[in-house]
Amino acid sequence: MLADFINPYHLQIASFILINILLAISVYVPLSSGQLSLGSAGFMGVGAYTSALLTIHFDLPIFVGVLVGAAVAGCLGIIIGIPSLRLSGVYLAIATLGLGEVIRVIFVNWESLTKGSIGLTGIPQMGRELLKLARNVGIEPAMFGLRNNQFVYLMVFVILLILVIGTIWFVFRQQNSRIGRSFSSIQMDEKAAESMGINITYFKVLSFSQGAFLAGLAGALFAHVMGYISPSDFSYHRAVEILIFTVFGGSEVIIGSIFGAIFLTLIPEVLRFVSEYRYIIYGIMLVILMAVRPQGILDIHLLSKFKRLKRSKGGVR
Amino acid sequence: MVLEIRNVSKNFGGIHALKDVSFKIQEGEIYGLIGPNGAGKTTMFNLITNIFEPTSGQILFHDTNITGLKSHKITEQGICRTYQNIRLFSQMSALKNVMVGGHCRSSSGVFSSVFRTKKQKSEERGLTQKAEELLDLVGLLEHKDTLAENLAYGQQRRLEIARALASNPKLLLLDEPAAGMNENETDSLYDLIKLIQSKGVTVLIIEHDMPLVMKLCDRITVLNFGEKLAEGTPYEIQNNESVIEAYLGREEDVEIA
Amino acid sequence: MLLEQFINGMTLGSIYAIVALGFTLVFGVLGIINMAHGEIFMVGAFVGVMTTGVLGWPLWLAFVASIVVTSILGYLLETFTLRPLRGKRGVSHLAPLISTIGVSILLENLSHHLFGAGNKPFRTEFAEMSIEIGSLTIYIVQIVIFVISIILMIGLSIWLSKTKAGKALRATAENLETASILGVDTKKIITLTVIIASAMGGIAGILVGMAFNSVSPQMGLAIGLKGLAIIILGGMGNVKGAMVGGLILGLSETFLVAYGDSGYRDAIAFIMIIVILLLRPQGIFGSKIAEGR
Repeated sequence: MLADFINPYHLQIASFILINILLAISVYVPLSSGQLSLGSAGFMGVGAYTSALLTIHFDLPIFVGVLVGAAVAGCLGIIIGIPSLRLSGVYLAIATLGLGEVIRVIFVNWESLTKGSIGLTGIPQMGRELLKLARNVGIEPAMFGLRNNQFVYLMVFVILLILVIGTIWFVFRQQNSRIGRSFSSIQMDEKAAESMGINITYFKVLSFSQGAFLAGLAGALFAHVMGYISPSDFSYHRAVEILIFTVFGGSEVIIGSIFGAIFLTLIPEVLRFVSEYRYIIYGIMLVILMAVRPQGILDIHLLSKFKRLKRSKGGVR
Repeated sequence: MVLEIRNVSKNFGGIHALKDVSFKIQEGEIYGLIGPNGAGKTTMFNLITNIFEPTSGQILFHDTNITGLKSHKITEQGICRTYQNIRLFSQMSALKNVMVGGHCRSSSGVFSSVFRTKKQKSEERGLTQKAEELLDLVGLLEHKDTLAENLAYGQQRRLEIARALASNPKLLLLDEPAAGMNENETDSLYDLIKLIQSKGVTVLIIEHDMPLVMKLCDRITVLNFGEKLAEGTPYEIQNNESVIEAYLGREEDVEIA
Repeated sequence: MLLEQFINGMTLGSIYAIVALGFTLVFGVLGIINMAHGEIFMVGAFVGVMTTGVLGWPLWLAFVASIVVTSILGYLLETFTLRPLRGKRGVSHLAPLISTIGVSILLENLSHHLFGAGNKPFRTEFAEMSIEIGSLTIYIVQIVIFVISIILMIGLSIWLSKTKAGKALRATAENLETASILGVDTKKIITLTVIIASAMGGIAGILVGMAFNSVSPQMGLAIGLKGLAIIILGGMGNVKGAMVGGLILGLSETFLVAYGDSGYRDAIAFIMIIVILLLRPQGIFGSKIAEGR
């Protein structure tokens, strides 16, 4: 039976992995045009709060809330992206980190709207809404031999999976086009890119706000998966965690972000048996990795090696 | 008139990098810009491509004022350059480098790039084809998949020229293209620049290799300490008293030292 | 009242300045942001708490202990996290950032483990003592903090400008290659820089412990982020900028709490840097670099 294979706990972790992949990509995209942004946690918070408030107070459907949340974060990305053009490298990193902190402090202090540091509860949950919807059309989880909570977690997972695959497809295709070439030329040599006729302002703001949009999207989804959010979900720690996904996996290639998000979300789960020491191990691991492979686990050279290996195997056959 | 430099000056914090320089470049010419180190040659390139704005004076391209226009707009107008210190996109293949050069002659946006519309596909094919032709022109077609940073020095210089040509320039600015090249490479560079000229591109070249400059250029401007010292044909320049003084005086110094 | 707030602000600001100096020294010489600096500072504070509170040592000995421990931490940081990344192919500015973040995670959780999550009080024999001048109340602690900070800043300035090692450090910060051609042992100077920066963090740790009478594993992050904001404010790698930036931040925070909305206290630092980055990206004392060839 299908029901025997579906473990809600595993599905939930899988859902968090998917959200984290979106977040990792939200750092990867600006980075592909040479902009190191630590603002993802802040943009994530903007998306989460926007969508949560809209669905709670105005009874909007979840998907509308998520879209608006992501769009608001994306617009904020444009507004922040334009003045940030003057900054590069670590300056931009710290400024965006600061932006995230400012956003978090606003969430804490704007109590009439955000309920302060306690956070928002009673956010409509995506899984439950989907179950309701299914029942309205006359579909019961029992028809597939599933319990209600299994159905709920499965639906959430499937929706997130579709969104993540769509995002990866989007970014991948964009990367292999005129847009992607402009991003990477700016990353490699901004002045030369400009003298090749590339409008630096446009493309940098484009990639920065795409990152903000993705972070907002991930945040809004996070709110509707969790059902409650508080400012501490979008703190410095989250910003750093997201950056680490991308850099650990390899920031040069999109597959690196995906790998980093999967691996680093799983690690604390796997290390549960040493739960007390897991963050100590995590810290040591980062130091060792950077010393051994500063470009992250996956890079272009490693990937092309894989490709050659595959090809040569095919040749033997 | 392809390019007119009209009374251009540039100060950097009180230092005159260029002082009241004027010259005009005719359609189809190869025009030389020479002078000792620090004479302001590269600064002139940076002003033409608006990396800096001139302190005073005007730059006209095909009789329109382009002073203060954004760099990427200037490339769109039809001026493209190479750099004295090679500035390729080092982690990109040779082919992609040249394709980036074709950026301003293509127009696909985010939507058409992601959904691969018909127009986008044919545009990409066109860009690839043109990039391959240009790589062939500079003799790098067999290296099209090599990363730019892995090319030999002379090859990198030629790749930079191919990249600049991909933007369909009417005026090509070359900043010391022969630097670091041996005699054979310089000879084939001569052929390449002549070929580029024959395709209707006007060339403005900064170069220290005097035999090459004298052989290549139709007319020359000599800069010294940011000021125009002389202008004329290679023959006139070679026989100009003040140029000889500026150059030979220096060379004697070098020999004595 | 106004004067009292001013004194509070100067006290806080002088501590911020010391923290920021640690960041700025490392950035000036190595061009990297040491994200673990806040945590080294926190460890210094805990050494202070343990030696004075548990072992009952006098304050001056606590300072010595804290300096020793944080110097060792600085040495280890340089040897195991920063040095392996130097001069290696394919190392972007991301690698040292992540690597030092790794150290900060390690130190924070280690302290959590050793000392527990909660706040520890920092007792000094003169914690409650104060002087009254008219209606003005000044705590002895404030005077001690202020005096130590000022001595430290003046000492560092003199050391940098007058001694051979200090001059070598400045030369290395100016240009590492040139310095090494001129015979400066840059490897030694870099190690020395990281150690000095860390030791200053240790001293600042005790000062903060005294000022707030409280030490916790999370304080490294809170104060560390402000240190980062200050060096942007004052100009990265600029010693004078770190000092002035620290004082400006300390004063503005104090006055905001006294006359405005205390909820936004922790955001001021970042609002300030966002404004300064827009108006003057190189910081108050920074200088601009142009690019042309």
